[in-house]
Amino acid sequence: MQTKTSLLSRIGAAELIALAVMVSALALPFFVSNAATVSLLTQIMIGVMGALSVYIMLRMDLMIFAVPAFMAIGGYTAAILSVRHDVTDVFLLVAASFGIPFLVAIPLGFLVLRMRGVYFVLVTFVLAEIMPLLLFETPRLTGGSNGIAGLPAVVAFGRPIEDSTSILFMCTALALLATAITVALTRVFRPQFESIRENELLGQSLGLLAWKYKIYGFCVSAGIAGLAGFALVEMLMTAHPSSFSALSSVNYVAYTIVGGQASILGPLVGAALLVWASNLFSLQGEVSQGLFGILLIVAVIFAKGGIVGVVEKLRPKPKASRLTAS
Amino acid sequence: MLEIRDLTVRYGGILALDKISITVPKEETVILVGANGAGKSSLINAIIGMVPTAGGSMTFEGVDLAKVAPSMRAGHGIGYSPEGRRVFPTMTVRDNVLAGASRIGRAAQADVYDKLATLFPMLRDKSDDLAGYLSGGQQQMVAIARAMSASPKLLLLDEPFLGLAPVWIQQISDAIRQFSKSGVTVLMTEQMAVPALKVATRGYVMRGGAILREGPVAELRSAALAEEYL
Ligand SMILES: Nc1ncnc2c1ncn2[C@@H]1O[C@H](COP(=O)(O)OP(=O)(O)O)[C@@H](O)[C@H]1O
Ligand SMILES: [Mg+2]
Repeated sequence: MQTKTSLLSRIGAAELIALAVMVSALALPFFVSNAATVSLLTQIMIGVMGALSVYIMLRMDLMIFAVPAFMAIGGYTAAILSVRHDVTDVFLLVAASFGIPFLVAIPLGFLVLRMRGVYFVLVTFVLAEIMPLLLFETPRLTGGSNGIAGLPAVVAFGRPIEDSTSILFMCTALALLATAITVALTRVFRPQFESIRENELLGQSLGLLAWKYKIYGFCVSAGIAGLAGFALVEMLMTAHPSSFSALSSVNYVAYTIVGGQASILGPLVGAALLVWASNLFSLQGEVSQGLFGILLIVAVIFAKGGIVGVVEKLRPKPKASRLTAS
Repeated sequence: MLEIRDLTVRYGGILALDKISITVPKEETVILVGANGAGKSSLINAIIGMVPTAGGSMTFEGVDLAKVAPSMRAGHGIGYSPEGRRVFPTMTVRDNVLAGASRIGRAAQADVYDKLATLFPMLRDKSDDLAGYLSGGQQQMVAIARAMSASPKLLLLDEPFLGLAPVWIQQISDAIRQFSKSGVTVLMTEQMAVPALKVATRGYVMRGGAILREGPVAELRSAALAEEYL
């Protein structure tokens, strides 16, 4: 009998596919030279990270709209370190843009994770609303409405990452890192996250310290959003409040839910498809958020499993049996 | 081990428990018998902290349970198997069982699981199956194993025989006797007095949120056979 299973053997097919896709994506910068395509792919990678941040919280049935707020913390951390303190080493910047939002999420988590259901959702949206205000009101630290421009090139292994193709490579590597962290977290804490999602109260009466796992998830989700923020400021070479508007949170939630929240492939597929579509129709800002909002509602009402869920359903199943929870 | 004094539970205007007092002595198996709506689940849920109390006291091993947060009661040694089993349907059998053992290390979890699997062999055969696909009897075993995975001193079983065929009742009764032999104190509820009285040592008969009668099972059994209250 085998009851002791290693992390690797517990990784599911969807997770392996996701990791394989992200590893293969590392080759993209070597094949793509068209500037518009490079830009599109870079935006997709940033979208993937934002969507993974939402996906982690949805494992515990918590919907968050705070992704842009943590992206701003990660992005501004990198901008301030590189412009004001000459820190350009990619590993230091990655560690800081993951670590600072992670740490900020600890006290914040104690405050907001007490809230349930729609109250939690609202509070996370308020966090996203407050962040640009904070950025505008602290010009000495964040440059206020000017933001922080002219970021020096990040240096990896002694080589500056300057041209847009290298930046795409870096963003893809970050998205791969975010995917790997998400897989590890959701696998190691899968039973805990699932019992919280299924029945938190029952989980607690079985001795599950639900708040502890919710904090873990929240911190990692914030850290991954921070990586997305870092990627975004590097792509734009600027940290500016307008990159982190509260409404942009709708995009990340839409990527995950339209893509499908039941599997890690959902946020990947959703980000790729929706970022591609909004570029195709050259939708910008609030128009795309409005459309994504509608798409989100359509997905929630008609296709709970999102795109990945619909594809799964179309695939013939070996045996049809019923799930009963009695 | 567990002392309940004048416990009152209300749901809004509904009085579910009216100043109930019961005692669960160490290493005994105590049964609460009563028809649907008697207040059995309210009592169990008050002990585990799923419903708030409106009066009275609960003392577990000398500790006032009012001072122990619901999420900490399992850590104090109280295991709980809810009415209707309530397994996590989309989780595997193994993950379900170990959901109750989230505070111990992986190696210790594997030991606990192996030990429980000697009592419930289905845990071995179906460890990777989703709990939602199991039969009612198997789900009940998963729910009991989940309650036992934290090695509690007191095991609360809310209607473990509900809707089960006699073969399952037999197997589950055997398991409860095994737990009892290994020193676990059990408080269980049941509507059908007869099978439940076979595993218990003491019993209380409940109706309308109050205790109707109490005593050793031998006394209650004769009363049950006379169908005095069912
Ligand atoms: N959540 C609830 N809200 C309102 N009334 C409840 C609730 N749970 C139980 N009751 C009522 O409390 C009484 C006792 O119920 P319960 O403890 O479930 O009894 P039993 O487990 O013996 O069937 C019943 O009258 C029932 O209708
Ligand atoms: Mg009941």
